[in-house]
Amino acid sequence: MNEEIIITVNNLKTYFYTNQRCNKAVDGVSFKLKRGKTLCMVGESGCGKSVTATSIMRLLPTLARIEEGEIIYHSEEGDIRIDQLAKNGKKMRSLRGSEIAMIFQDPMTALNPVYTVGFQIIESLRYHTKMTKRARRKKAIELLRGMGIPLPEQRVDEFLHQYSGGMRQRAMIAMGMSCNPKVLIADEPTTALDVTIQAQIFDLMNQLKETYKTAIMMITHDMGVVAELADDVVVMYMGNIVESGTVEEVFKTPAHPYTKALLKSIPVLGCGKNQELEPIRGNTPDPYNRPEGCQFNPRCDYCDEKCFEMPNDFKVTGTHHAKCWHYRKVLENE
Amino acid sequence: MLEYITRRTLVLIPMLLIITFLIYAGLELTPGDAVSFMVSPDVLANISPERLEALRESLGLNDPFVIRYFKWLGGVLRGDFGYSLTSGVPISKIVIDRLPATIELSVAALLISTVLGSILGTLSALKKGSMLDHMLTVAGMIGVSIPQFFFGLVAILIFALKLGWLPSGGRMMPGYDSFLDRLPHLVLPAFVLGLTMTAGVMRYARASMLDALNKEFIKTARSKGIPEWRVNFIHGFRVALTPVIVLVGFRLPMLIGGSVIIEQIFQWPGIGKEFVAAVRGQNLPLVMMIALFFVLAVLIASFLVDFFTALLDPRVKLD
Amino acid sequence: MDSIKQQEESGIVKNKLQNRVLNKFFNNKLALIGLVVFTFIVLATIFAPLICRYHPGKIDVINALQPPSAKHILGTDKIGRDVFARIVYGGRISILVGLGSALGAALIGVMIGCYAGYKGGWLDKIFMRISEIFMSFPQIILVLLLVSIVGQSLWNLLLIFIVTGWGSVYRLVRSQMLSIREEEYVQALRAFGLNDFIICYKHMLPNALGPIMVNITLSTAMFILQETSLSFLGLGVPLNIPTWGNILNVAQDLSILKENWWIWLPVGILISTFVLSVNFIGDGLRDSTDPTQQG
Repeated sequence: MNEEIIITVNNLKTYFYTNQRCNKAVDGVSFKLKRGKTLCMVGESGCGKSVTATSIMRLLPTLARIEEGEIIYHSEEGDIRIDQLAKNGKKMRSLRGSEIAMIFQDPMTALNPVYTVGFQIIESLRYHTKMTKRARRKKAIELLRGMGIPLPEQRVDEFLHQYSGGMRQRAMIAMGMSCNPKVLIADEPTTALDVTIQAQIFDLMNQLKETYKTAIMMITHDMGVVAELADDVVVMYMGNIVESGTVEEVFKTPAHPYTKALLKSIPVLGCGKNQELEPIRGNTPDPYNRPEGCQFNPRCDYCDEKCFEMPNDFKVTGTHHAKCWHYRKVLENE
Repeated sequence: MLEYITRRTLVLIPMLLIITFLIYAGLELTPGDAVSFMVSPDVLANISPERLEALRESLGLNDPFVIRYFKWLGGVLRGDFGYSLTSGVPISKIVIDRLPATIELSVAALLISTVLGSILGTLSALKKGSMLDHMLTVAGMIGVSIPQFFFGLVAILIFALKLGWLPSGGRMMPGYDSFLDRLPHLVLPAFVLGLTMTAGVMRYARASMLDALNKEFIKTARSKGIPEWRVNFIHGFRVALTPVIVLVGFRLPMLIGGSVIIEQIFQWPGIGKEFVAAVRGQNLPLVMMIALFFVLAVLIASFLVDFFTALLDPRVKLD
Repeated sequence: MDSIKQQEESGIVKNKLQNRVLNKFFNNKLALIGLVVFTFIVLATIFAPLICRYHPGKIDVINALQPPSAKHILGTDKIGRDVFARIVYGGRISILVGLGSALGAALIGVMIGCYAGYKGGWLDKIFMRISEIFMSFPQIILVLLLVSIVGQSLWNLLLIFIVTGWGSVYRLVRSQMLSIREEEYVQALRAFGLNDFIICYKHMLPNALGPIMVNITLSTAMFILQETSLSFLGLGVPLNIPTWGNILNVAQDLSILKENWWIWLPVGILISTFVLSVNFIGDGLRDSTDPTQQG
């Protein structure tokens, strides 16, 4: 096994059971997470990005479960099958927070309003380190300072509502990074922030990646974020990975009609007002009433009879894969 | 904070004025003469018609209605509640005499229902969808469907009449007046009242706890790898607690309603029993004043609830 | 979960009914049981003359306080009246009071709440204050107070229940209206120049019906409990009319409580069962009309 790989996800299937129905939110997803690299997972809302992340953390709600596939964490002591651990068991808990940490979209709801920020950072240290009470507090202050929060000695005892929006997200990252995790999963960490603060947060994450060789898995629907941060990109649509590869490959030579359409539908900064934007036609299908075969076929320009069969994962180059029967046509049709 | 309290108090005043005005209007409806509830019946018994007329004039009973109301309100504020029609005892004395018994019963029932209700409700929420949860939910529904008095009757039949473990009613025997002596009398009514109220608390605590457990920050807490009990109690329960405490205050009307019936069945000498007796005896002044007293209690309780919620929630402190 | 997955995969979708609300209601076993029991008891009281051998008021002092037998299935009371007949006929009044008060209170609450909630302003403020005053009295205290002013009769009781009960419906409807008012379609209707009454009663009200139905059901249960409690105290429906509460009234006597269980125990259990069934229905309605509920 490659030394650089920290998490392998193989053919993961996570289904939701609500209202007497079964929703195949994630239906056969495979990818690899590398040390010191950022993997961006893009797709529109409801495509299964967050579900994949919560499956890795084993934080799925009770009405959901992992049906098939494997999630392997390559720790220093050997491989751990995360999908086979007890959901809130001892082993899983010892991984969470210390080896794999997660930060969430909206710090206002993701942090507890009735405890101080310091309390919530220290809580994590308490169960994963052997520090004394005083050392923990000192470490919490250090972390906040590291995240560029002014007056950390004072801020550590303040409540969430006393923080500004950008500071809240930084406090959350401080909490995530408190035990120097090997993997950081970020679920749209900047969606709730404005653009200037977004840039600060990204700088921070790039620093972390370089200093600690943390593997970052970033979930986003913002192509701009991908361009800025990603080493590798995974594009998801309706519970499947439709295309994956390095950021250059996916952006310059998209091999899946969906990726192509997605890139055409967003404006590029600096290209002026007269860009031709093409929205993707049609709507995302109802997850209970999925199209047969390739999930994108009702909205696709390349669609023919063959597309009513689920396409295989085609290798475009060594690292670039696409799930489309017509990927050659898509590539050539530049 | 101070501003908040003042504002809240200012809202109460017009409401109290309207309520007391309605109560006074009700009093004036009393069959017979308004003198009867303003003057001690002993005095009234030996008095000539001319003296009575002079008395009416001097008491201002011939004044316009609104003036009479404010005079009466002044009296109430000074603690002059008027007299009971049947016994001639000042109403304030009746209330003061009966109050300890009612408070004793209410506090005991409140304690039982709050402790039991929040424990069972939290348990039910933590085991959502399990057999235990379903059983507790159904038990709670049964609890709110049984009439309180019927539950009381069954309890008396089993524990007092058949098994003979506890007395069937009353509060104390002559000569036994320490709290410990009274305790056996308290057990049955307090448990009946407490248990009938437990269902509501349980349901509310369950909903509140589920609500807290569905919050994003629970997921965050879990993502830190801390033990489950810590996730559930330190993060979930602490947040769920505030609404449950609020509920304790808002249950006062229910508690009063319940105590009226329970005191009747168990012959518990509290205000509720006095109230029923007054309604039965058409003793309107007493009925009105006890009702006023209950309304005051409810309004003050809801005021205190707001106050304590503000204290408990760090977010409100700043305002 | 596995069974759901199998169904999904074999392409059979279990839910054939189109309506999601009805669907969820009929999937709720307790609500269904409640509906069956409720219907059974209501039908029994409606067809009371067909199932009772005795008239509920027929006095037969020689056969007083008889335990249950083939002749009188639930025995007789102190003056020899057939307990079973009294329970069945009594149900008519008790259910009428409960259902009638709930419907009456809902009618008034909806009428006022719908319009005041939509219009807002001083009208809404006034009704809000009035309802606050009503709500600051513990319900049973207010009811007893009014009983002592207007006197005891069946119609008075019904009226008192309606007067004391409209406030909660009003507040419910008002808060629903406040949120519906912000919806796009209401703005559109206003722009068409439609009459206020048509907008709020015809176009907005149907969207608030779910919670109102739940409220009516649950307050039916509450009013039945109140009627029985008041009648038990001897302050509800006059004693000469048989109601469930009035039958239980005699159980205040400890010797009857101890020796003659058949007079009070069956009717108490019946009240509890009936109220329970109504509560099950209300709960089922709540779950099925609440769009945020899943599972």
